[in-house]
Amino acid sequence: MVELEKRVAAKGLTDVEIKPYMCFGACQEGPNIVLYPEKNWYAKVKVEDLDEITEHLAGGPHVQRLDTIDSSLKELIYQLLDTGVI
Amino acid sequence: MEGILFPHAVPEAREGLEEYRVRGGYQALTNAVESRPEEIIKIISDAGLRGRGGAGFPTGKKWQLTSEAPGEPRYLVLNGGEDEPGSKKDRVLLETLPHLVIEGTILGAYAIRAAKAYLYINARYDTAIQTVNDALAEAKSAGYWGDRVLGSAFNLDIEVVAAPHNYVAGEDTAALDVIEGKKPWPRQKPPFPVTAGLFGKPTVVNNVETLANIAPIVLKGAEWYRKFGTAESSGTMIFSLNDDVNRPGVYELPFGTPLRYLIEECGGGIKGGKKIKAIMPAAPSSAFLPADKIDTPLDHNSMREAGSALGCGVVRLVAEDCCIVEEVLRIAEFFSEESCGQCPACRMETSTLAMMMKKVQAGQGGQPILEQFGKILAFNKGKGFCNLIAMPGPPIESALKLFPEDFEAHLSTGKCPAN
Repeated sequence: MVELEKRVAAKGLTDVEIKPYMCFGACQEGPNIVLYPEKNWYAKVKVEDLDEITEHLAGGPHVQRLDTIDSSLKELIYQLLDTGVI
Repeated sequence: MEGILFPHAVPEAREGLEEYRVRGGYQALTNAVESRPEEIIKIISDAGLRGRGGAGFPTGKKWQLTSEAPGEPRYLVLNGGEDEPGSKKDRVLLETLPHLVIEGTILGAYAIRAAKAYLYINARYDTAIQTVNDALAEAKSAGYWGDRVLGSAFNLDIEVVAAPHNYVAGEDTAALDVIEGKKPWPRQKPPFPVTAGLFGKPTVVNNVETLANIAPIVLKGAEWYRKFGTAESSGTMIFSLNDDVNRPGVYELPFGTPLRYLIEECGGGIKGGKKIKAIMPAAPSSAFLPADKIDTPLDHNSMREAGSALGCGVVRLVAEDCCIVEEVLRIAEFFSEESCGQCPACRMETSTLAMMMKKVQAGQGGQPILEQFGKILAFNKGKGFCNLIAMPGPPIESALKLFPEDFEAHLSTGKCPAN
């Protein structure tokens, strides 16, 4: 998380907020990064992937290879985020 | 009312070996070692005994599966983890009738030809552990366990293991891990303990109350036992009543007895002369029943038909001036705290449900939050190594269905209707 914060700061992305979440129900697929409200989920993220994720936050392309989470879990977690319960 | 386990009332003090022998104690074992183990299993199957730990699985079937599974040695585990809030039946049995429980354990071990039995007892039950150790010493001196039980070829070792006091430690496979020296985490099933249990060998895990029923059945026969209870739930069951009634305690009743009898005749009714708002027949994981279901018979089928379950018999009452949101919040927080955390789905589900109930209590989230409960529960159905993941479901869903006004009151005013 510290590494991601550094990259986001270096890129000058002032409209990005990075927050820890206790659990999305996919710890076995972790570390997980959910971009919200865009609703993109990156799983099994490594430090080497952070530059591409930061690029995405800056308007770059979606990182397809990290988009591996089951769609029904995504839908549930996105709904919970939409409802404001997590 | 005559019982099977407590012939008259719950004894005031521990029953000693001689007292137990005077009323026929260890006679079942004396007869059994003259019979073949399969005959004992058949008596238990014919009696229709079902496990008293909560699931109600047929005991004879469990024993048969273990007995037929390949691999030796076999083990028998007496599960006295008893961490359901409000449950005290196992403690009372261990403290007052240790020889009844020990004879049942030895008979079970004989039936499945186990070489060793472990008595897994809640570590907080100091008195029970001491009582059982004393009784074990008496029983060993009398030749009821050890080498060549009562002069037969059957050898049995017995060891007491203290169970950690957290909720999942009472789950059967978590008990096996503790006995193996690991932390109390439930295992993925299958394989089930009957084929691969303790140290990977066929193992029976039976609740204390289940094993307490064995000696009377073996001594008096299946037909006698079936005179108690109903066709599908034979025998008696011990129910635990707590501070919400006038006379808290444990009560042994035949299956099929109306819930009203337990609450009114045994428990002396709800405290303070109030009206009952809801009944939870198997706290904390069963569905709430509305007060008009008070005449439901206490047996597995009737409770299922009424929309709830019998579990291990901790009956909890909610009074008319209580708010169901507060009740459900406590339950959701309990399961969130007790989830062991090894299954991500369970950790997410239980923590999210508790967080959502906290928001409902504070009047946040509006109607959309209520719609999320069912979705979370449905998503997590069938996941997780043990059943804890499913436990918050019945109380939450039944509360939403039966008492929507309590949820609406919280969400619209942010205040509890009970205050």
